[in-house]
Amino acid sequence: MKLTLLDWSIILVYLAGCLAAGLWMRRFVRGVQDFAVAGREMDVNLGIASLAATELGLVTIMYTAQLGYEKGFAGAAIGVIMWLVMWFVGRTGFVIGPLRASGVMTIPELFERRFSPRVRWLAGLFVVLGGLLNMGIFLRLGGEFLVHAIGLPPGALEWTMTALLGLVLLYTALGGMLSVLVTDYLQFLVMGVGIVVTSVLVLVQVGWTPLTAGLEAAWGAGQLKGHPYNPVHESSFGWGYLLWQFVFQLAAVTTWQTQISRVLSARNADTAQAMYRRTAFYFVGRFLLPGLWGAAACVWFAAQGGLPEGLTSLTAMPHFLGVVLPAGLIGLVVAAMLAAEMSTDSGYMLTWATVIYNDLVAPCLKRPISPPAQLRLTRALVVAIAVFLLFYGLWYELPGNAWDYLAVTGNIYLASVFTLLVAGLYWPRANATGAVAALVLGAVGPIAFLVLGQRLAIAPEVAGASSFTLAALGMVAGSFLSPARPLRQ
Amino acid sequence: MTTVLVAVWGLLLAASLAWYGFLVFHVGWKAGREIRDLTATLGAADRPPPERR
Repeated sequence: MKLTLLDWSIILVYLAGCLAAGLWMRRFVRGVQDFAVAGREMDVNLGIASLAATELGLVTIMYTAQLGYEKGFAGAAIGVIMWLVMWFVGRTGFVIGPLRASGVMTIPELFERRFSPRVRWLAGLFVVLGGLLNMGIFLRLGGEFLVHAIGLPPGALEWTMTALLGLVLLYTALGGMLSVLVTDYLQFLVMGVGIVVTSVLVLVQVGWTPLTAGLEAAWGAGQLKGHPYNPVHESSFGWGYLLWQFVFQLAAVTTWQTQISRVLSARNADTAQAMYRRTAFYFVGRFLLPGLWGAAACVWFAAQGGLPEGLTSLTAMPHFLGVVLPAGLIGLVVAAMLAAEMSTDSGYMLTWATVIYNDLVAPCLKRPISPPAQLRLTRALVVAIAVFLLFYGLWYELPGNAWDYLAVTGNIYLASVFTLLVAGLYWPRANATGAVAALVLGAVGPIAFLVLGQRLAIAPEVAGASSFTLAALGMVAGSFLSPARPLRQ
Repeated sequence: MTTVLVAVWGLLLAASLAWYGFLVFHVGWKAGREIRDLTATLGAADRPPPERR
């Protein structure tokens, strides 16, 4: 599909607006706390917009559409689980309530207070390792969308994504969380409109009855990998995988640093909990709406005789949108998808840079550096992460589907840090020995999947569930086998 | 069984579309006002240093 003048105008106005808003916020940054957690002045609705925009990236749209293409609507069961878990955490304040009340800037900072400086540093290392590996495929997947949706030549993928990342880097490095919040807000609006309009157009193009009948036919003919509607069916996720997802999502919404950074930027714990409750249902659409596009692509290509050569379950959806969306509207969709990519990239780069500075670099400094130097250092770390993203994103090949890769890399720290958080906040007997054992043991399963996943058939739920079990065992055994110490405050 | 599941997914799909549409306007309006308040607070010359919050 070729972009018209109107399409280009929409995209350029959107990009210019984001850049201007992001740069404008730079004037309010007076210190690292303004830069990292927006001076803790964020209110509920801005938190909802920022959380929703950050957690719905172009990479999310790609992998949820892939789930829709391979598993039909049943692929969105993970979104339903996430909805329930988010609402539960928002209702009870489980973990996020005491975490916000503690006044820390990052999760590892809490571990120093509760356990020891060594635990903080080690946890920071795992958080950064898991987070950066997880983020490594964002640019590649985002670029794949643009290549297939608007027909970019394959060679242009790297340059387009480099330019986009450069733009995001500019306002994130200068304005930090304040710029991220305001640009997230704009991106939330553009993305919301784009997703709703695209979903309605897909439904109009394919039709609800032909879509549901087509999915059943595709499943019957073996073109769909799993039952299109029943997630517990043996051909779909199955009970084991879904149960793992309950635990995984509970750990993700209470531990994932990009989500927690919004909790820590909130005015208080009540604001953070309200933000979670009101964002909870958003996560159903996060899986279901792009899943609809993927499922529709499956039915549409099945009617055409199957996927053309060169397309996969990952790239089928953008190719399908590029064909069925009317000219003149693709600009809005591309702007929405760029919004999704940019909001996620900015939030993630800032979050991991903050953890590296706060938990890995700062504790090693012999004497404190001046506030301006702290800011310069954090900004330099944002730039370094962007450089890493460019290179890692270009050469790593996914061992399985995108969702499994993201779940498993996230698990490198989710299982252990979740165990440390829950034990640290709710189990007085937990101590530093147990914390170190949990951190190390929790990372074994996911790293084995990443290293050996291409040679051995390790199911992602096995790698994931084993890491949660090992982390919990490490915490309990380590805490009981070493002397109890008074709680650090 | 399949008919029920199709209806459930159809319902969730319609609810998601409605919720996204609602959030864009509702949160869009309110978050816009919060950004105004946020910048006013942060821009105040007499605000305490960040370390005290």
